Amino acid sequence: MIRIAAVGDLHAGPDSVGTIRPRFEGVTDRADLLLLAGDLTRRGTAEEGRIVAAELQGLDLPVIAVLGNHDHHSGEEATIRRSLEDAGVQVLEREGVVLEFDGATLGIAGTKGFGGGFAGASASAFGEREMKAFIGHTEELAAGLEAALAGLRADIRIALTHYAPVDATLAGERLEIFPFLGSYLLAEAIDRAGADLAIHGHAHRGTEKGVTAGGVTVRNVAETVIGHAYKVYRVGDRSADDVVGEATGRSSTSTTPSRP
Amino acid sequence: MSGVSGQQSEYLVAHIQDALATDARTGELELDVRIAGGRVFLAGAVATTERRDAVERVVREVCPDYEVVNQLSVTERQQPGPSEPVS
Repeated sequence: MIRIAAVGDLHAGPDSVGTIRPRFEGVTDRADLLLLAGDLTRRGTAEEGRIVAAELQGLDLPVIAVLGNHDHHSGEEATIRRSLEDAGVQVLEREGVVLEFDGATLGIAGTKGFGGGFAGASASAFGEREMKAFIGHTEELAAGLEAALAGLRADIRIALTHYAPVDATLAGERLEIFPFLGSYLLAEAIDRAGADLAIHGHAHRGTEKGVTAGGVTVRNVAETVIGHAYKVYRVGDRSADDVVGEATGRSSTSTTPSRP
Repeated sequence: MSGVSGQQSEYLVAHIQDALATDARTGELELDVRIAGGRVFLAGAVATTERRDAVERVVREVCPDYEVVNQLSVTERQQPGPSEPVS
């Protein structure tokens, strides 16, 4: 059994100094790793990136993140990524990482993802170049997620995105903005490559629980949705390792970038 | 400002939401803004009390003639409950 702590949409700003770290007090007793589902910052500035990185630095468990749309707002996403990585946070964008927990391997593939809507009410890459660019971005990231997931050599595989792969976890949001909250292309990629769990954020007024058409469990961990500092999900409960007890060992074994 | 037509109110809601998204003091995209009875109602959750106040300030600047009803909540961050088995 591996315990996964997850939360999205921390939205760190200048007023967040000293406020994020306390919410992770005791996380190492409850979880074996921490996933951050994007929007670590509020306006995507380098300063906000440094603030959230400092809050996360030194947590005694692996921390894996994807960036979100807020992290791109100021065009400083590369600097934010560097700050996070300098603080020990692994940032995934069409990349995967495999961790080992007492002999069981857990692979995580991540991307920001993007919008476009869901089957039956989705946009296509048709018409103006701006529309093609919009959907093309989603297609590119979904394909990268699929490749990264498929490339994971692990007992358990997790898809980590900011945008939602299914509309079930958007329940509570206004229907009109669904196309800006996620895309079925992400779910299709997840189903094709296979995964045990999909984690996303972004939909602040959505719902926690959903499932892809292919039966992959989806969880929306936007902070305002889960109502807690983070949620903890257990994977591998049905594995033979169960009889051994809770996994506590951790070591990053490999990273599998898939993007060009 | 009870004399504003429904159509103008609709535009104003959009302008307020644009301001909340793009103003450097807020950067909030997920808040509920409604105009009813000549008043602006703000609902949803923000991370801190400072942000709740900043949202109200920005809205008052966009529509100084309106009464603003600030119903924003600050996100709770309780420690997590029991873990959920998912696979």
